[in-house]
Amino acid sequence: MPAREEPLWRRYFRFFGPDVDADVDEEISFHLEMREKDFLARGLSPEGARKAAIRKFGDVERHRRQLRRQDGRRLRRNRWSERLDEWTQDLRFAFRMLWHHRGFSGAVIATLALGIGATTAIFSAVDAAMLRPLPFADSGRLVQLPDIQIPFAPEGKELPSTLPDIRTVGGFSIFFSGIAAYASGGLNLSGVGSPVRVQVGVVTAGFFSTLGLSPAQGRVFGPEEGRPGNDAVTVISHTLWQRQFGGGKAVGASVRLSGRLYQVIGVMPRGVTFPDGADLWIPLTVPMTFESFTPFRGFISSTVVARLAPSVSRDAARARLQQAWREIPPTFSDDAKEVIANPLRPLQDTLVGDRRTPMLVLLGATALLLLIACVNVTNLLLAHAATRERELAVRAVLGATRGRLVRQLLVQSLVLSLGGALAGLLCAYASLGVVGTLLPQGLAGLAAPALDGRVLGFAIVLAAITGLGFGLWPAVRGARADAQTAMKSAGGQSAGRARGRTRRMLVAAELALALMLLASAGLMLRSFRALLGIDAGFRTEHVATLQVAFEQGTRSALASRLHVVEGLLEKLQSTPGIEEAGIVNDLPLSGQGGIALQVEPEGRPADSTALRKFARYLKASGGYFRALNIPLLRGRLLTEADDSIAPKVAVISSTMARQYWPNQDPIGMRFRNGGAGNEGYRTVIGVVADVREHLDEDPQPQAYYPIHESPPLNLSLVARGTLPESGLLAALREAVRAVDPTQAVYNVRMLDEMQSISLAPRRSNTTLITTFGLLALLLAVVGVYGVVAYNVTLRNRELGIRAALGARRADLARLVIREGLGVALVGVSIGLAGAFALSRVLRALLYGVGPSDPASFIAAALVLLLPVLGATLIPARRAARANPVEVMRTE
Amino acid sequence: MADSSLGVLRGTLDLLILKALSWGPAHGYAVAEWIERVTGDTLQIEEGSLYPALHRLDERGLIEAEWGVSGTNRRAKYYDLTTRGRQALKAESDTWTRYARAVFSALEAPASLKPARV
Repeated sequence: MPAREEPLWRRYFRFFGPDVDADVDEEISFHLEMREKDFLARGLSPEGARKAAIRKFGDVERHRRQLRRQDGRRLRRNRWSERLDEWTQDLRFAFRMLWHHRGFSGAVIATLALGIGATTAIFSAVDAAMLRPLPFADSGRLVQLPDIQIPFAPEGKELPSTLPDIRTVGGFSIFFSGIAAYASGGLNLSGVGSPVRVQVGVVTAGFFSTLGLSPAQGRVFGPEEGRPGNDAVTVISHTLWQRQFGGGKAVGASVRLSGRLYQVIGVMPRGVTFPDGADLWIPLTVPMTFESFTPFRGFISSTVVARLAPSVSRDAARARLQQAWREIPPTFSDDAKEVIANPLRPLQDTLVGDRRTPMLVLLGATALLLLIACVNVTNLLLAHAATRERELAVRAVLGATRGRLVRQLLVQSLVLSLGGALAGLLCAYASLGVVGTLLPQGLAGLAAPALDGRVLGFAIVLAAITGLGFGLWPAVRGARADAQTAMKSAGGQSAGRARGRTRRMLVAAELALALMLLASAGLMLRSFRALLGIDAGFRTEHVATLQVAFEQGTRSALASRLHVVEGLLEKLQSTPGIEEAGIVNDLPLSGQGGIALQVEPEGRPADSTALRKFARYLKASGGYFRALNIPLLRGRLLTEADDSIAPKVAVISSTMARQYWPNQDPIGMRFRNGGAGNEGYRTVIGVVADVREHLDEDPQPQAYYPIHESPPLNLSLVARGTLPESGLLAALREAVRAVDPTQAVYNVRMLDEMQSISLAPRRSNTTLITTFGLLALLLAVVGVYGVVAYNVTLRNRELGIRAALGARRADLARLVIREGLGVALVGVSIGLAGAFALSRVLRALLYGVGPSDPASFIAAALVLLLPVLGATLIPARRAARANPVEVMRTE
Repeated sequence: MADSSLGVLRGTLDLLILKALSWGPAHGYAVAEWIERVTGDTLQIEEGSLYPALHRLDERGLIEAEWGVSGTNRRAKYYDLTTRGRQALKAESDTWTRYARAVFSALEAPASLKPARV
């Protein structure tokens, strides 16, 4: 056997276990040597003896290889099972310890469940909205193109378009491999039985191919069907197919949408409901015609989306668009400057829109909460480790290595954090409903928060990180426990002192974080209150409302609509218990948007600035103002005499009066709508107070035209009365049924309900942040109590001696309170600075409150300090009762 | 299985090793030597094939190995029977003896016991 020098590193590795190869070599060479000696003794030559020995052994190399393989395999197997044994042992031990200290474990798990649960719940929303790609092929390549027009042909003749339109951009095929416009709205679908309201996606022919959606059955719109005249076709969703056709044959069938027949040409796969949870899709023709949008309250707002061609960057595509904008007439160059200043945004970003900030703020808030939870748990673990100091020291003396002890303590905290994660996931699951309200409307049907693999993974990773984070320090400290000191001293007072300092620092940090959350909650609450306190310009109490949509295309449409309007008002006004009833086309706070028209006051030239002055255009009956208590400031309200043959009149809002006729009496002034389809001048007959379309936006100028002049297709009925809610709502329904039994009604609800719906996103944000703030407060108070109470226990002896030396009870209590308050004040001052920094981020979410609103900050500090003071009082009382005799006896 | 010397049936070698170790711990060479001595030249065992068998028995827990120092003051691996190995040896050798006896009595049977012809 050639004795190869064993490399140094191998010797080093022997430390970790047997060196299989060397052992095999040694065993074989020993055998061969012995055999060789034997042959020598029998008289063979040294050369012959060696050869004979080898011959007798057989193929040395083969046996060596086999043995090495065999032993190597065995070693690896053993190592694994050994390691597994150790882990099982640690796990079993951890469980036993945690079960033994159930109170402690429960506190840790509950604390972590709060932190992890809250963070996971909010993360699931962030994940659904921003991280998960949209369910379209290669959705990252989809961009929204701002301010791209869709050509318009009102009476079959296309208006010349001045701005870049969808056809111009469609020509940039080097940059965009697909372009489409889409809009959405509600229509009445009549089939069997009474008509139902359906959500309709109005989309250009290229919509499905641009998004990469293909039908499950039939086909999607072809280029021909994207032009006016051939557009009576529809693609339906899986849901509608199931509901309306029972999953049977649908392609080729016809459906009636708001009076017009559409042929079903395709069915989309399950889950495709873009945009806005569409039940079906109809073509948006290029150019658009009046028919395109009259069914939709005369208004449809479209979005243009394009797919970037392969290897074209967003910037390159923007540059091409900028060039197109530079080629337009100079009248609109201001617009152009605005449009081309912004980079193209991915579709997902624009769909998430302004919900992005609140979601990220909430995620940040939960991260703070989790941090607080971790600090609390670290504190608990440190205190717990102190009680186990002796046990750890004993085990160290008995031969447990420090690494082993650290690992064991870490396994314990990992078990705790996984327990916390599990409980937290349950909390998160329970809160998915609330979390769903955080998601932007634009993502309806595209993304819902769910506890899928990613979110589960997130929670587990969070648990592992927190487990290591809060466990590592106490574990290392615990394992460092010096055996001698621990065994000698009764409870390790000196070590306890040092640890007390660390714990005080942790609690100060925790208080600072809690204050940051509380101050944010304060700001949000004050904003919400400010919003609730806003006078929207009308009263919602005791007002019921519902919406109806007439079908278009009947011959005497206008006349019959007028008939219905008059019938409805008559019926409602004669209903006992209804005081005022009225009709308007668009209700405020409905969030449905509406039309604004250019206004040209009489006698003023239409210069380019006037062209840009728009006023919100509404149609109303006089009863609308009375039902909603919108005060009449001057002149008179609209009446049923203001019909199509009467002189054209309008009631305007006070903002509109101020804007167009500053310092003048607007009554009797005349104006007309600029732009396309100029009609004659209209006389202002009354001024009413402003009404807010959105609570958090200043009122726009508003012009109300008489509804009796030409009733729109979409109406909202309002009725105020002394009847109870259900009675009012029933009266509204009954009125519609009496006038036209086939008419579908929708959005039947009280007006204050609508107001609360319009505030729902803000309410969720505020509620969540406030909840997180209060949880943080709770954790912080528990943390302070823990530290102070623990210190009182540690200082029991000192306090006893002080009492023996004549300290009064009040002195002792003051000693403890001073310590607690010291920590609290440090925490609060750091927290105030942090909250101040944080409030800059919150600015976008605030309303009517400055980000450095002193009231919120002071209130937050007080809300934090008072319970903290309370938490120190309990141990302080105990300290005051320190009994010198008892203390001396225990020594 | 050439001419008069017999190859060793698998399992038989294990039995021989257990038997070799039944007198106390021994290293591989001693085991090989003992087998050679007691079986004469009848069984041709490649000495190298002894070791995989030893290691296998070690892994199965029938014997256990320990490094020690040989009579010539050399580091050597010693093997020893475990309790389980001792039980295995007893059971195996009983089975073997019964088996061998049965085969032997068949081969030595008188002609009067020849198979019946029907």
